[in-house]
Amino acid sequence: MIVADLPEKELARRLAGAGLRVRTGPVVTEIRSRMPKVAQGIALHYADHPLEEPGGFADFHVRLAPPRNIRRWLQPQVTFQFDGAPPFLPLPADQAFPILEWGLNWCVSAHCHQYLVLHAAVVERSGRALILPAPPGSGKSTLCAGLVSRGWRLLSDELALIDPLTAHIMPLPRPISLKNASIEVIRRFSPDAVLGPTVRDTLKGSVAHVKAPVDSVRRAAEPARPRWIVMPRYQAGAPANLERLPKGRAFMQLVDSAFNYNLHGRKGFETLAQVIDAADCYEFAYGDLEEAVKLYDRLATSA
Amino acid sequence: MIVARPDPVSIALRDPRALPGWTLAQWEALIRQARRANLISRLAVLLDEQGLLDDVPAAPRAHLEAARVVSQAQAEAVRREVAYIGKALARTGVDIVLLKGAAYLFAGLPAARGRVFSDVDILVPEAAIPEVEAALMLHGWATTHHDPYDQRYYRRWMHELPPMLHVTRQTVLDVHHAIVPTTARLKPDSAKLLAASRPVEGDSRLRILAPPDMVLHSAAHLFLNEDLTGGLRDIADLDSLLRHFGQDAGFWQALAARARELDLARPLYYALRYATRILDTPVPAQALQAAETDRPPAWLRRLMDGLFLRALRPAHVSAADRFTALARRALYVRAHWLRMPPLLLAYHLTIKAFRKEQESPS
Amino acid sequence: MSVSALRWHTVPRSDLIWRELDGDLVVRDARSGSTHLLEPLAGHVLRALSEAHAGMSIPDLVARLQDEAGADETSAWFSAIEAILSEFRRLGLAEPERP
Repeated sequence: MIVADLPEKELARRLAGAGLRVRTGPVVTEIRSRMPKVAQGIALHYADHPLEEPGGFADFHVRLAPPRNIRRWLQPQVTFQFDGAPPFLPLPADQAFPILEWGLNWCVSAHCHQYLVLHAAVVERSGRALILPAPPGSGKSTLCAGLVSRGWRLLSDELALIDPLTAHIMPLPRPISLKNASIEVIRRFSPDAVLGPTVRDTLKGSVAHVKAPVDSVRRAAEPARPRWIVMPRYQAGAPANLERLPKGRAFMQLVDSAFNYNLHGRKGFETLAQVIDAADCYEFAYGDLEEAVKLYDRLATSA
Repeated sequence: MIVARPDPVSIALRDPRALPGWTLAQWEALIRQARRANLISRLAVLLDEQGLLDDVPAAPRAHLEAARVVSQAQAEAVRREVAYIGKALARTGVDIVLLKGAAYLFAGLPAARGRVFSDVDILVPEAAIPEVEAALMLHGWATTHHDPYDQRYYRRWMHELPPMLHVTRQTVLDVHHAIVPTTARLKPDSAKLLAASRPVEGDSRLRILAPPDMVLHSAAHLFLNEDLTGGLRDIADLDSLLRHFGQDAGFWQALAARARELDLARPLYYALRYATRILDTPVPAQALQAAETDRPPAWLRRLMDGLFLRALRPAHVSAADRFTALARRALYVRAHWLRMPPLLLAYHLTIKAFRKEQESPS
Repeated sequence: MSVSALRWHTVPRSDLIWRELDGDLVVRDARSGSTHLLEPLAGHVLRALSEAHAGMSIPDLVARLQDEAGADETSAWFSAIEAILSEFRRLGLAEPERP
């Protein structure tokens, strides 16, 4: 059963009550909220996602609700609660869906230490994964959304889950988050992409989410082998340029982009070494998304 | 009469062998509460020791594995940190007695396995405190809690230095010269503890408390603090220590005698009472009887039962309060356990902007 | 004691894990928990120190590495290796023996 199978009223009822248990790859999250924006966001972005059966196991339990403080009467706010406790300060209520998404990222990056978790986008073609580690503002999410709209499978736009045993990447298909100018770029680049409403004035500026393609969600149980590691850098007007990155430096970039490298100790080193061994490493500058996507397609077909 | 419905975590700790047969719903409740109690990794280790880890369903097993990764990394970090501390204090010639988790680790005790570590605690003679503090500062530790009230609170009332934070590694070191706060009526003699301490195998500079003293310190920490910061995790420590040391025939008598000598008979009474009740610790009848002579009057016993049996259950500790402590100690907050890479700084600054600032004097 | 005479040691071999990648060396030091990227010469110095049974002085290292590389300009190597060892010391990767 998937989220879209639930009538609107039933979806709202479950969210407001016992919770909605949604599977995103290896992670099942029980989500509770009475806020309409949350229900709408889930109905849109998680339509194709499987619902966990009753009697199953939920990994995380989250709730989006107004805070229990005096301000709730002055200005509507929302808190993200993890297992009944809010780790973060409240935010304006209209940001509820971005906060859910951001909170779901936090659940994984803070707890899923059975994996080596990198801050990176991951897409896949023909069983081979393209890893895009990058700091915020590097254009990784725009690139990710662009590639995904042109046939690449989405594994994740934020969190690369690497299995330490196999060095394969586990999918975590969820909405792709876009900021500011990227939102319009993707609307133009991919008119068929399904975008949620733009939420303004967040800490990151304006934020909108692109729905993960149904194919990416359906194949969430299919890991991918690392094949390319590319450090993207967006620069307006720059021609697309792919340059080999010495593997030693690529290795250190992965160390720097990992959430939990130090937790894995020696095994973390070995896992990253496996990933680097398997992959061609590049630095990539680009100014035009169309040009960038074409270059990656060439890369995929020439390999 | 207190009818305490046992919580899933204490049930699990009492009999890990039954766990593979639990339903997914039961596992879900267990993982949630064990996470709050900082006991997932301990469960993982217990199951692994009995060869049962593979029998756990895959979904909850992932959480056990994740928690184990964390606790192993923490243990390594504690070893590293103790090495740095030893180096910093080498020239002072002061005997450093490791306390709590660091002690269990260096003594190779079962209590260290699957334990969640955070700060390192050491005990030094009171007279050595100024020299120790100076040496630490020379090697990069800085005092915290700069407010004069807080400083006094720690130095005069808590009998310890305010937590010392290492500026580059972001690790925290608690330097004690007594094992109970002054606010406790009881006054166990630190000189006796230091005198009975023994060196760690393989490193003469580091010492640990004698077994009865280790147990008594754990009991004192749990039952004499102003706030009931003790939790199921601390009882689990006690349970582990008692099971391990209790194998030695002379231990129980030595424990009783030492408790009286150190003025810690009441905390020992509570320790044995709650460890047996909650985790079924095998304490010989004679030892229990001996402890009974120091029991509180019946009305106080009932009151304490209500408090402790509630406080020692993960589900009943106020969620926000527990989570704050967890959040403070949890790995993902400590920048030193996780090398916070520069590329992630912007991302984490966003998180920090949201994160609740919790500063408390204790 | 002159710089040339100092003998250097690295951390125990069991504490190091490394990989050569495109000529550079990535190495994790379990003692400090840190991971480093060493450019080729530094990588060779680390490996030489690690494989040595006794400490090695800078002249020892120069001789050993020149052997491997089949090279000759001693003075340039000397100062380069001196700088590398100083950096290793800062990173906790190597230490001179106390005289």
